[in-house]
Amino acid sequence: MKRYLNDAQLYWATRFLFAISVFLIVVLSLSYHSINQELVYYSERVDHTHDVLENVQDIRMKLYQVTYFGRGYLIMSDSANRDGMLRKLASIPVKMNYLAELTEDDSVQQVTIDSLKSSFKVYAKLVENFGYSDPSQFDERLKFDLLRNGSSRTENLNSILDQIASVEKELMRERVLNRDNYKQQIFRFNWAIMGVALLFLLSSFLLLERELKRNKHYRAELENQVQNLNRSNAELEQFAYVASHDLQEPLRKIRSFADLLKTKSNKSLTEESHEILEKIMKSAIRMQMLIDDLLSFSRSIDTSREIEEVDLNEILQEVKNTLQSKIEESRAIIRSQRLPVVTGYGNQLAQLFENVIINSIKYCKRDILPVIDISVSENLGSDIMGVRESQADTIFYTVVIKDNGIGFRMEYAEKIFTIFQRLHGQNSYQGSGIGLAICRKVVDNHNGYITADGEEGEGARFYVHLPKTSPTP
Amino acid sequence: MGVFNILMADDDADDRFLVQAAFEDNGIHHEMMFFEDGEQLLEHLTSTPAEGRTRFILLDLNMPKKDGREVLRALKSNRELSKIPIIVFSTSKAPDDILSSYELGANSYVVKPSSYEHLKEVVKKISDFWLNTATTP
Repeated sequence: MKRYLNDAQLYWATRFLFAISVFLIVVLSLSYHSINQELVYYSERVDHTHDVLENVQDIRMKLYQVTYFGRGYLIMSDSANRDGMLRKLASIPVKMNYLAELTEDDSVQQVTIDSLKSSFKVYAKLVENFGYSDPSQFDERLKFDLLRNGSSRTENLNSILDQIASVEKELMRERVLNRDNYKQQIFRFNWAIMGVALLFLLSSFLLLERELKRNKHYRAELENQVQNLNRSNAELEQFAYVASHDLQEPLRKIRSFADLLKTKSNKSLTEESHEILEKIMKSAIRMQMLIDDLLSFSRSIDTSREIEEVDLNEILQEVKNTLQSKIEESRAIIRSQRLPVVTGYGNQLAQLFENVIINSIKYCKRDILPVIDISVSENLGSDIMGVRESQADTIFYTVVIKDNGIGFRMEYAEKIFTIFQRLHGQNSYQGSGIGLAICRKVVDNHNGYITADGEEGEGARFYVHLPKTSPTP
Repeated sequence: MGVFNILMADDDADDRFLVQAAFEDNGIHHEMMFFEDGEQLLEHLTSTPAEGRTRFILLDLNMPKKDGREVLRALKSNRELSKIPIIVFSTSKAPDDILSSYELGANSYVVKPSSYEHLKEVVKKISDFWLNTATTP
């Protein structure tokens, strides 16, 4: 046998699991997001460093070109070389500004770039002055000196550029390291989120499947129970048949032969034998009554008839007709408000009213005439004691049957509806205790309720609650 | 008297005994013949010429071999014998049994009384009616 969580445990387990999973997924996703941002940042920084290095290389190249054109101009004294030299020179500050812009956030580089700018100013002045002069007027010594050492004028600038590049390269190394680090982390987070999501899905799936299994199990159990119920119902009907025929037959014989014995041997029987015979006959009569009542109770179970619209006023009149002799004998007064029309089994409802009224007449006080008042009101299911939760919103007709009889103690209010349950001895009031049990059975068949209250010596009140809408057929 | 007879078919010996006692106690001294099932009853009726001697038949419904319903069917389809009054005498109070008996041509339906006193009364009433008052068409 598998162990299942009970409903309360399951309720909390699913909620706990859900909360944990949502929490993990949210936390992991947020971390993933921030790590991703870091990654993007470092990737951008790496690209940026590339830009800086490229720019440094560019400036270096332009400085070479200035030197190149300068040498040409020194040898040729032509305007083409001079213009090339000055043009290249003029393009360098733009690059340097761009470089300053790129490294704006790096104060160390800014300082270096400032010194680069000031060194460049000196160099630019030198080159511009050279451009304004006519190299063909230079003596050979100066020319030679310029050719040999001219390029050394850029040494200072180049070393500053080297410095910038090396700082950038160092940065680049760091940034690439960071970027790769974050890349790996993002991988890990990917796996972690996937893992948690999978775990959640898997556990949801398992839980769902188990619930479905349990559901199936319950359904099978329920079907089984319905089958058992049907079977026991059929057995009960069978029992009613047996009671009506097979049990009554020998009983009839007991009564008949006891009778016959009494008639035939009247004279020869002793006083004692007569008494014993009387007791046999009394018991047989009582048993006959019990069997008859049992039969009528089992008949009240039968709901195979069609349900119909039943006018309770007509039912009451019918019952009064049936009980005419009893009513006249007891001189009972039955007063009733206008009763509603309900949906149900007419014969059963008649039986219900008959039994309650018989009960009231039977348990009347000896010194006053029985008065039975029947009134009706509408009530919501939730306002009636003991109504099933599923019927809390159902509207009920409440028929109150009130008498002025001997009543009963409240502690018996429920007991009186139990089959063969009697509050009085056989000697004071005859009966088998089936009447009110049948009433309960009838209201059950109508998805209704019957309750009673009373006080000893003060009369009883029976409340019959019948749904305003039709009972499910 | 003693010329006419009364027939009773019932598989229950006690009931046969009780009915006989009731007839005697009522001072009705017709010849009575008892049968344990429908087959015996039918055999008797078809083998011995009726000659209008049978005054009425008390017929139980549930019997072995041929039951009351079969007897009713057989007798009521027989031209000669259909004139004999048949009183179904059964324990059953079921409306179905009562209705089907009348449909098959029973002349009366009496539920077996549950006391001897009552039985005596019933027997007297049956005899008064079928022996003295009524004749079948």
